[in-house]
Amino acid sequence: MKKSFLMGVAVAALFAGAASAAELKFAPGQDAKFNWKSYDEFKAAHADLKGQPLTIFGPWRGEDEAFFMSVLAYFTEATGIDAKYSSSENYEQQIVIDTQAGSPPNIAVLPQPGLLADLASKGFLTPLGDDNSKWIKDNYGAGDSWVGYGTYKGKDGKEAFYAFPYKADVKSLVWYVPENFEEAGYKIPTTMEELHALTDQIVKDGGVPWCIGLGSGGATGWPATDWVEDIMLRMQPPEAYDKWTTNELKFTDPAVVAAIDEFGKFAKNAKYVDGGVAAVASTDFRDSPKGLFAVPPKCYMHHQASFIPSFFPEGTKLGQDADFFYMPTFASHPELGKPVLGAGTLVSIAKDSKTARAFIDFLKTPIAHEVWMAQSSFLTPYKSVSTEAYANPQMKKEGDILTSATTFRFDGSDLMPGKIGAGAFWTGMVDFVGGKSAEEAAGEIQSAWDGIK
Amino acid sequence: MLLQIVSALGVVFAAVIACSAYFYFSNKILDMALPVKDGDIRAASRNLNRRALVRPWLFIGPALFLLVVYLVYPVVATFILSFYDRAGLQFVGLANYKWALGDREFRQSIFNNILWLAVVPAACTFFGLVIAVMTDRIWWGNIAKSIVFMPMAISFVGASVIWKFIYEYRGGNDVQIGLLNAIVQTFGGTPEVWISIPFWNNFFLMIILIWIQTGFAMVILSAALRGIPEETIEAAVIDGANGWQIFWRIMVPQIWGSIAVVWTTITILVLKVFDIVLTMTNGQWQTMVLANLMFDWMFRGGGDSGRSAVIAIIIMLAVTPIMVWNVRRANRELKGH
Repeated sequence: MKKSFLMGVAVAALFAGAASAAELKFAPGQDAKFNWKSYDEFKAAHADLKGQPLTIFGPWRGEDEAFFMSVLAYFTEATGIDAKYSSSENYEQQIVIDTQAGSPPNIAVLPQPGLLADLASKGFLTPLGDDNSKWIKDNYGAGDSWVGYGTYKGKDGKEAFYAFPYKADVKSLVWYVPENFEEAGYKIPTTMEELHALTDQIVKDGGVPWCIGLGSGGATGWPATDWVEDIMLRMQPPEAYDKWTTNELKFTDPAVVAAIDEFGKFAKNAKYVDGGVAAVASTDFRDSPKGLFAVPPKCYMHHQASFIPSFFPEGTKLGQDADFFYMPTFASHPELGKPVLGAGTLVSIAKDSKTARAFIDFLKTPIAHEVWMAQSSFLTPYKSVSTEAYANPQMKKEGDILTSATTFRFDGSDLMPGKIGAGAFWTGMVDFVGGKSAEEAAGEIQSAWDGIK
Repeated sequence: MLLQIVSALGVVFAAVIACSAYFYFSNKILDMALPVKDGDIRAASRNLNRRALVRPWLFIGPALFLLVVYLVYPVVATFILSFYDRAGLQFVGLANYKWALGDREFRQSIFNNILWLAVVPAACTFFGLVIAVMTDRIWWGNIAKSIVFMPMAISFVGASVIWKFIYEYRGGNDVQIGLLNAIVQTFGGTPEVWISIPFWNNFFLMIILIWIQTGFAMVILSAALRGIPEETIEAAVIDGANGWQIFWRIMVPQIWGSIAVVWTTITILVLKVFDIVLTMTNGQWQTMVLANLMFDWMFRGGGDSGRSAVIAIIIMLAVTPIMVWNVRRANRELKGH
């Protein structure tokens, strides 16, 4: 019995070993658009960690998970580290469970600085050190703001750099189908005023201008928070935006209420949205952009972040079948420049180890960015990557928006406390679209904020 | 995968061996510590008595220990946490309880829970009883029963996903893929976003639980109905009672105990209802219930263990009286037989 049991273990170990040596997507040293030198240097510097374990927990699932695994393959190939990646649909709950239960992963990847700040304040994260923060400052576009988004107060009350930004999204995009615009003779609006005029023009021509879908299961409402944040940056200076995310500027402040109302001008007008106002809150955000591609089009424009092409119909060619334009700014607010709303995932160490440090080092190599860039759905503010590696010109265009913005601000709801940014704000937006006034909805979000200490 | 299976099997095997060894050796040690020798009869009988006293505790010990570790300790820890701040570090007295009483969302949850309690157990028991009585009389009764019972086999989340498609809404002139809206449209009505109509959406969620649980009520009550002595019904028929009277005056009183069991079991289930609300609305559109609120406070954005502990305690307090009553009634019935 015992012998056969051991045999089973041996066989299993053999299989596990075979599985971890995954294939590399692009053979090292071949394609010149990649920075293979960085890979070789990294490989040489981390040869002593063979076979040591590393657990990574992150939000990437499905297609993104496959992309990340293809990046991770280079890491494991270079170091021989036995890296395991796991994810959860409810990652923000899972990471709380894991850290509080005392079994955190080595590396925790989260798209919410607010949640990371919270974990750091409870002593669950390990500071990454000043070298890393300096590196981000020097090498990332708008590096200062990225460092800011990774710097939190620890359990001892001291500020330290905890989270390394890796993979970014640009949110200030409006997607459209060039062919539809051409046929109807519409021009890309360059100001918010023009966007309003275009919206009215489409209605006048008998079309429906917008597809808006706020549905996202338990997270229903979040796409609306992107709208409001984007508008906020176009009506208020960035300092006001920062104060808003910390509630120094109350939700009930006229500035915020005005931004919500501006969103309402699009979303709460039955003529402006596909399916009528009732469909806005109930349509899943993943289904919503499909209206662009219907024949005849169900809508002409869709405001959504750079990840949305993942949910376009199969075979959609970006730049040809679908394209985007920068969500325009108000001509009446020229002083606000070209603000960009974005987001990103932040990598932090929840259980310190040599392998975890090696992974952070790996993220500093251009190759860790380029491999994902070359496939899809990956933007980076890292200035030293070769932008030739981007899978298509559209992504390159998005990357340029990201690195050349005059103002870059992180998704506000991700900065707010979880109960607000991933709760009351969503619910408030759903209620707002459902018929409540902007004052009422804002009032409820504010009272929820007053309720947390 | 293979590795996990092998190690799981290993653990199961080791645990079984360890359990048997525990019982075997603890017994052996007891026998050795309190020997029964032929020489001293008085000592032997005293030792025999002592063995009889100790042995049950030896056998019940591990179970008792696990019960304390997995049930009593968490309850006590939760109770203590409810007096501490969000990180569980600073004592804040009754502040969390005070917060709960004043919180709009908390009161909304209490209201919704009461609504669920008023509707779901009653509806399940009622439909279960009606179906049990009716299916006893038709030839395809057993088929009908199987169909009614089938949802019991589906997880709450699975059932919610099914019903999500029933309530699904498509805007404007699209073809409705949701069954309910398709029916409404066929008869010339306007499709609605059912799960976002405040107050009434609670009932749309309740229907899911009723759909799942009616089968359970039906099975228990159907068995109880079979247990009614034929004579009492025959006597009633001879006395000229009509069907209605037989049902209410003869059958229902005789299965009253079973009805109470069904009712209380579903009541406890309803107090804990969580999956359906999470899957369908996550408490949005004013459908929040206590269990979801607790989960929300505990696991969203780093969590607030103090407030979630308060909500957990309140759910426990609400469940306890029903449990106590249920256990007492079961004990009484056992003694009666």
